[in-house]
Amino acid sequence: MRLRYRPFQAVAIATLAALITACAAFAPLYDRAMRQALTDISIARTPASVAGLQMTGTTQLGGFTFATHNDTDPPTPEVVAAKLPEDLRDAYADPVLGYSALVISEPGRSSDPRGQLIWRAGQCEHVTMVEGSCPDATGEIAISEADVENFGLGVGDTVRVAGIPRDLARRTVVPSVPLVVTGIYEQQRDDYWFGLNLTGLSGAVDSTPPPHVQHDIWLTERGTFDSSEVPPLPSQASTVGYPLDPAAVGVDDVLALGSEIEHLKDDARRDPANGVSVEVYSGLPDIADEIREQTEQSRVTVPLLMAQLGLLAVVVLWLVLLAVTEQRRPEVALARLRGRGRQGARRLLLGELLPVTLAGVVPGVLLAVGGVALARTSVLPGEAPFELGVPLLAAVGLAAAVLTAVTVLAVLRVSREPVETLLRRVPPRPAGFALGVAEALVIAGAGSVVVLFATGGLDGPIALAAPGLLAIVVGMVLAHLTTPTAAIAGRRMLRNGKVRAGVSFLDAARSPATRRIVAIVTLASALAVFSADALLVGDRNRASASEQGAGAALVVDVVGPDLAAVRTALTEVDPDGERVTPVVRLVPPGKDASGTLAVVPSQFQHVALFPGGAPDPALWERIAVPDAQPIELTGSSLAVDIDDATLRSERLDGEPHPVQLGLEVVNERGETLQVLLGELDGPADHTHVEVPVGCREGCYVTGVWLRTLPGATIDGSATFRNLVGLSDTGTEPVALGPAYLWAGLDDPVDGTVSPSSEDPEQLTIEVHGEGASQLTMSQVWLPGTVPALVAGELPPGSDDNGFSLVNIDGEVSDAARVATLERVPASPPDTAVVNLDLVERGSAITSSAVIELWFAEDDEALLAEVTEALDRQGVDVSGTTTLAGVRQEYDESTAAWSLQLAALIGAAALVIALLVLVVSAASSWRFRTRDLAALRMSGVPSRSIGAMAVAAQLPAVVVGVVAGAVAGLVGAHLALPIVPLFAEAPEVSTLDLGTAWVGVVVATVGALVVLGLGSVLIGRALARRSDIRRLRETL
Amino acid sequence: MTTQASRQASRQASTHGTRVSTRRLVHIYRSEGHEVAALSGVDLDVAPGEMIGLLGPSGAGKSTLLSLLAGVFKPSAGKVHVGGIELSAATPRQLDEMRAKDVALMLQGASRNLLPYYTPYENVRFAQGAARKAGKDLPEPEEVLAGVGLDVDAHTPLATLTPGHRQLAALAVAMASRPGLLLADEPTSQLDHAARDRVLASIADANRELGTTVVIVTHDPDVAAFLPRTVTIRDGRVGGEGRSGEEYAVVTPDGFLPLPLHVREDLLPGTLVRFHRTEDDAEGSYVLIAEENVDE
Repeated sequence: MRLRYRPFQAVAIATLAALITACAAFAPLYDRAMRQALTDISIARTPASVAGLQMTGTTQLGGFTFATHNDTDPPTPEVVAAKLPEDLRDAYADPVLGYSALVISEPGRSSDPRGQLIWRAGQCEHVTMVEGSCPDATGEIAISEADVENFGLGVGDTVRVAGIPRDLARRTVVPSVPLVVTGIYEQQRDDYWFGLNLTGLSGAVDSTPPPHVQHDIWLTERGTFDSSEVPPLPSQASTVGYPLDPAAVGVDDVLALGSEIEHLKDDARRDPANGVSVEVYSGLPDIADEIREQTEQSRVTVPLLMAQLGLLAVVVLWLVLLAVTEQRRPEVALARLRGRGRQGARRLLLGELLPVTLAGVVPGVLLAVGGVALARTSVLPGEAPFELGVPLLAAVGLAAAVLTAVTVLAVLRVSREPVETLLRRVPPRPAGFALGVAEALVIAGAGSVVVLFATGGLDGPIALAAPGLLAIVVGMVLAHLTTPTAAIAGRRMLRNGKVRAGVSFLDAARSPATRRIVAIVTLASALAVFSADALLVGDRNRASASEQGAGAALVVDVVGPDLAAVRTALTEVDPDGERVTPVVRLVPPGKDASGTLAVVPSQFQHVALFPGGAPDPALWERIAVPDAQPIELTGSSLAVDIDDATLRSERLDGEPHPVQLGLEVVNERGETLQVLLGELDGPADHTHVEVPVGCREGCYVTGVWLRTLPGATIDGSATFRNLVGLSDTGTEPVALGPAYLWAGLDDPVDGTVSPSSEDPEQLTIEVHGEGASQLTMSQVWLPGTVPALVAGELPPGSDDNGFSLVNIDGEVSDAARVATLERVPASPPDTAVVNLDLVERGSAITSSAVIELWFAEDDEALLAEVTEALDRQGVDVSGTTTLAGVRQEYDESTAAWSLQLAALIGAAALVIALLVLVVSAASSWRFRTRDLAALRMSGVPSRSIGAMAVAAQLPAVVVGVVAGAVAGLVGAHLALPIVPLFAEAPEVSTLDLGTAWVGVVVATVGALVVLGLGSVLIGRALARRSDIRRLRETL
Repeated sequence: MTTQASRQASRQASTHGTRVSTRRLVHIYRSEGHEVAALSGVDLDVAPGEMIGLLGPSGAGKSTLLSLLAGVFKPSAGKVHVGGIELSAATPRQLDEMRAKDVALMLQGASRNLLPYYTPYENVRFAQGAARKAGKDLPEPEEVLAGVGLDVDAHTPLATLTPGHRQLAALAVAMASRPGLLLADEPTSQLDHAARDRVLASIADANRELGTTVVIVTHDPDVAAFLPRTVTIRDGRVGGEGRSGEEYAVVTPDGFLPLPLHVREDLLPGTLVRFHRTEDDAEGSYVLIAEENVDE
């Protein structure tokens, strides 16, 4: 009956109670769901070979393993498999048992291939037999197609490999094991193989002493390993692979498994009883550590975020219950007058309100479950089962306890009032600015915490509470300032004849709801603004970090150092380099060494991603290729005249010594060749030289050099004329001059070589050498000092802007920092960017360099086109990285999910504030409509009454939203530096905590629209109900 | 409980009206920093089963006196005896028990006496709760409502009742616990004549049939005329009494004699008055002789 009389209030109270319960229940559910999602994606991202458990068993007696010719067989795979404790096996699928050994083809020369021989249970189902059949008998093997090609083996052939004598003391002859090829296989790439590549080694030379050629892995039948007819093989071991069963492994299992596998590694290593040693490998402990690390973040952030919303809802419920119980004061007075006493009054109120409040618990739990279910499908990845555990029950119990406590406290407040006070229509209330003790304590407490944040006294995820606490302080102080201010303003307006506005302001000042509205709207708006800002700042930073991490929309790694082939392929597909560009990366070992990124600047600046803004295009000009032409020479030999030579070399003892004179040329493969032209014993007017040179496909003349005995000086000059390349097809003259094509050498230790002559057909050099080392004068086309754009610090020992970097040939080159970059995409700090076209001159790319292709778009069609072009050039693609993939990794973290939760909280806070407006109106509508009816009776037009009804609440809402927006902004400024935006901070920081103004404006406008519109609609509804009949006594 | 048993319970519950007396009753309000004396020494005796009206201009202190009699306020000074309880010294428990069983306060305005979401029946039952708990044998709500002629509307929502019926419902609620003292503040205000008469008749019935002592605050001369005894409160004091249509001045405990209003018009401030005892009455009577001011 009572519910029917005030159904709206009951719905509002139950809704708030449901929200509080939902907040409490959501935290453990969402936290759990996040951890499950994290577990799912961590396992899904991890290759089966890493996530699973692999065991290798050997027998080890007296410190020697079977591999060292101990004649004891290794434990069977079944024995090794049994090492995994029973209680851990549920997490894994059935094990894959196997054996492995090293086989050395006889007679064991370096040209006789050696490699692994394995058996795995069920192996025949995971290879495709190209020819013949899968081995099914002892001594039978299957080999790869590459082995057929490289070693001339075929089906039916027998390979003899070395076994191990069982009794070393009696048998000195190594037993020979015949292996018959029954089939040729092609590996099916699947998780069965635990990442083992059966092929790819055939023909490759293993330089491990003694150097030998390798074959691919051979497959055989189990009997080859454990039959007594076959002698043991070297390095024989049992292998067991336990594939992880993701469906059977929850988050708790992973954490527990991680620890137990660590124990197993230690325990299984040695079995002193029979010498069995089992090596255990699994990446699961690392996955568990990652999950544990991330969940440490979520364990704090999620409850903290939900606690803020829950706290807001509790405060609102408290205020609503105060309003509701205040409205029931006449009823309480009646109960008291009918002799029911305080207890009876309490029972009267609790009998009505507590069931309503507790009625919100079940919908709250359902709301939380529904919310988490939605989050699981729309936000969180993975398909882990929904779990409702003990934490949920505890949270619901806590929510119920809080709801009961809040209701009882609100009821107590009214039921304790003396009857004389209860009988008054309007309860006595302090006028002007008055702060209760409790409010003062809350303001002081919250203010102190905010000050601690601002001064850096507090750290960690608790910073998420800063905006809420700040808003509490601002909201409460503002609420207490608003009513006296409104009263003063209202009176002044009345004096000035602005009756409508004056009455509205006085109405607002008189209403106890005004303070509540200001305080709650401030808090809700602050949370909304902070949430929007935090969400967008987090999103922006993850986007920046992804761009920095990926470097481009799509990055492809290619196999091998054949840059020329790669560039040829790219030219075919994208001649202008607008869509894809080559990048060569050199990462030298050592902590202090600078990495080098060789790029084509004109392409790279358009293709690469530069979070925070691309550098000034003018910067790229500073590493442009010098405007110099190379001196090209083609032929199998060259001829040149050395005229007017006055070169003399004098040893330390004063005796003359011949001077060696030569040219430095670079062939088409980038190899630098030192071509000795001849020795000059002393001054000579004319010397004709003709020497062989490996430049059939063309070379560049990159230097002129002179050398003598160490310590001997060189002085004098010489002129080179008539340089020609000689080949079967004829001669080709080469212009060595004029002098400006050459960069003179001026070294204080070694000496000087200066070019002169204006004639392009000849080159004259003036030489003074101290004999410390060879004197080389370089052609200007060849980079001397490499100009570089550098991010971060120069390496230690650098001189001003001069430093050393690793060039694409793997050698250290002199470099000069010509400009600074904030960051180099997809590169660690302290990376130097150089011009690939420049450093490629005269250099062969080192095998340690990594060639990458950077794509402007993540375009699969283009990728396929490029892959085909590369394939035609004999270049394989080894892997791809996409911007979307990197972004996904950042997005799929507890830090990102927590911030998404913050947005939900901001929206929920606005809904709660709207509820406050509605409840305030619902709990006082009879009085307010009566007041408005009185105005109507006095002749105030309906339109004015409508405006006054709206104006009584709207200014408080606007003040609250504006104050909340400011508090949210300041709170974000305090909190965001401490809020974790990433699971793990990126190596190169792109952190930008600048305010996301779009989010702030949207949230503020959203709050204004939602709450302002709500306030207007409520005001109009009240005005519509303010019929003159309201003046009559109503029930 | 059968109707007969209920009626028997009704009679048992109402065998005695409650005696009321106040002595030198003073009550001071504090309003906006100022002290205002609402009552300045009121002596009043109401016999058990008596029905009186408190009259007087607005602000004279009638409602305050009623609230003091109901134990809502504690007097600033003086004594209030209601039944056997001296209210200024009563504990909250005693006051609760008194309100539960012996004293009913009927506030001005029917709605203030009724829980809006209950029917008349439920309101009566609610009002009887504390008394029943205290062991008082009470009639069923239907009988209580029948006593005021509202048995037909016992289960009608309050909002649909006429103002007169609502006031009757409020009276039924006040009488639900068969109190010894009914304190009614303006019970007939805002009612038309028919409804007023019906309410007054119901109060009179309760007074007559149940022996309930009744104190009614009213402005209405018609209501005052209906009551056998009226006490006029003026300036916080008992300013006069009316008995059976005759109006009397009442000498205060400190010897003052407030003049009736119509006498005041004749005896201007400063008028010298002499009392003369007549000899022709064996019990002795006083004649008031006004003389002109000696200063004039």
